[in-house]
Amino acid sequence: MNASLNVPAVIAARDLTKTYTFHQQRAGLGGAVKSLVKRKYETRLAVDRITFGINCGEVVGLLGPNGAGKTTTLKMLSGLLYITSGELDVLGCTPSDRKHDHLRRIALVMGQKSMLWWDVPAMESLLLHKEMYGLGTAEFERNVSELAELLEVQDLLNVQVRKVSLGERMKLELMAALVHGPEILFLDEPTIGLDVVAKARVRTFLAEVNRQRGTTILITSHDMDDIEALCSRVMIIDHGRLQYDGSLDELVRTTRPRKLLRATYATDVDGGALAGLEGVGAVDCDGQLIRLEVDRERTGDVLGELTRLGPLVDLDVADADVEDIMRDLFLRRSTVGDQA
Amino acid sequence: MSGFARELRVLRRMTVAEIVQQSIYRGAWVIYMAANICVPIISLLIWRTAIASGAQLPIDERYVTTYFVLLSLVTMATSSWMAGFLAADIRLGKLSSWMVRPASLLLGFVANNLSEKFLKLFALVPMVGILWWIFRDSMNIPAGPGHWAVFVVSLVLGAILVFTIDLLIGSLAFWMDDVAALAQARLIIASVLSGAVVPLALMPDWSRGFIDHQPFRFTVSFPVEIVAGSLTGSELVTGLAIQFGYVLGFGVLARLVWSAGIRSYSAVGA
Repeated sequence: MNASLNVPAVIAARDLTKTYTFHQQRAGLGGAVKSLVKRKYETRLAVDRITFGINCGEVVGLLGPNGAGKTTTLKMLSGLLYITSGELDVLGCTPSDRKHDHLRRIALVMGQKSMLWWDVPAMESLLLHKEMYGLGTAEFERNVSELAELLEVQDLLNVQVRKVSLGERMKLELMAALVHGPEILFLDEPTIGLDVVAKARVRTFLAEVNRQRGTTILITSHDMDDIEALCSRVMIIDHGRLQYDGSLDELVRTTRPRKLLRATYATDVDGGALAGLEGVGAVDCDGQLIRLEVDRERTGDVLGELTRLGPLVDLDVADADVEDIMRDLFLRRSTVGDQA
Repeated sequence: MSGFARELRVLRRMTVAEIVQQSIYRGAWVIYMAANICVPIISLLIWRTAIASGAQLPIDERYVTTYFVLLSLVTMATSSWMAGFLAADIRLGKLSSWMVRPASLLLGFVANNLSEKFLKLFALVPMVGILWWIFRDSMNIPAGPGHWAVFVVSLVLGAILVFTIDLLIGSLAFWMDDVAALAQARLIIASVLSGAVVPLALMPDWSRGFIDHQPFRFTVSFPVEIVAGSLTGSELVTGLAIQFGYVLGFGVLARLVWSAGIRSYSAVGA
């Protein structure tokens, strides 16, 4: 139970660790022959003693560069992998036991792996889930009807899965994952490969599912728009360690404390004097356009100065782009990691 | 609903979906089965010619005819092809999407096996029926339902045995990069030792002890022997007991290997 939020924790991980053992093989025929008689095994630490809790109804983004350990974490939480050490409790169960009553309460959607049968209509897969999850006919029909309407896929249920588009397939995947009403939904790159319209629809749907059903959602995505649109909280994993756990706003404030101002004028202006103002960082003047960074607490004063420079046409005040923040963050950590 | 009843309902649903899916390839079943029946027909003609030419064999023409007429049906009914698919699912991480759902991971393979056999029956039974009609006067046809009932039991046990051996081989993919060589070796060895190529009754006397008791005999030859009529009552009972013992033994072994494998599953790419 999270005392401050007064909601029960549905996921609790303490010192969660996962190591993989694999053999290395040199390229080429020589390497192949050598590996026949002698193999060099290595152990790689994929997740390194991470501790966190997730409360009922939260939408949490699991972020990190490729190979950081976020998907391994998701696999452990969903029971696909046994943990190497530490403690893990999901809805009161050990996920890797894969007990029926536990699996009935969770769902996993993988953007790159389908759970639908390819050559038959999605309805066949839904009917299979009806039996798997022991749903009554009335409950099944109600859920299918609600989800189909939310996702706008009523006309696709009886079409062979291989004949629908990628965006439509992902909607059907989500439908199959949610037809039994799971309490926790694990999503691994759910919008990968989708166009902007399909991405927006999936995001809207997930937000609606969280709002209406109180479904706890844990999502990994490289698309920062997914994270911004859905997640109240993010966890950043890098080199297997939990580097940050908190709100996205707080992350932006701590990593890029300055606001970005962008002023467009009717005529050319000279913004050279702005650089000397207190709390102002980089200033970029380009004729009728001025871009600058400014400390949050000095934003009001600097806006006043901008209005005095000339006839304003447009003024934009924004936080740093999350995508940029993540890129800087991952690049910085990667460089530190390489040096170490 | 009990766990077993739920699994049966899931299996029924999966089998239906598999039949829907595979019925798309109806032409393929006819071709597969035509190919499947070719080798026994050629063997039948060769051995009948040999006997007619005075070859001294430990079996007569009626046994040879019954054996080869039934062979394609029994081979199809007891066959399994899941080792390669299971190994691929393990290596490529495709098992993951089934592992998060509340049903046995093997149900999909069982459903695939049952549905294909169901569809193949439609192609194979008419072909075997024609053969049967052509050679009806030179075949051993057991009188009464007793032999046929034992034949069906033995056929089911044989199918489970082959499936279990396949499961055992496929499960090795949890540790091995490629089990294709092993699966291929099993196919080659089984084709000889099961009696699918040459009746085991024609194997040399010195190998009799081994041939009669090795597991592959109980996947094809033994069910056919029951109908062909070469077994005494005690041989029948002993054979069924050995067959059941193999099913149990391989079942326990496959279960142990599978359980250990799941612990080391790395869910690649999921």
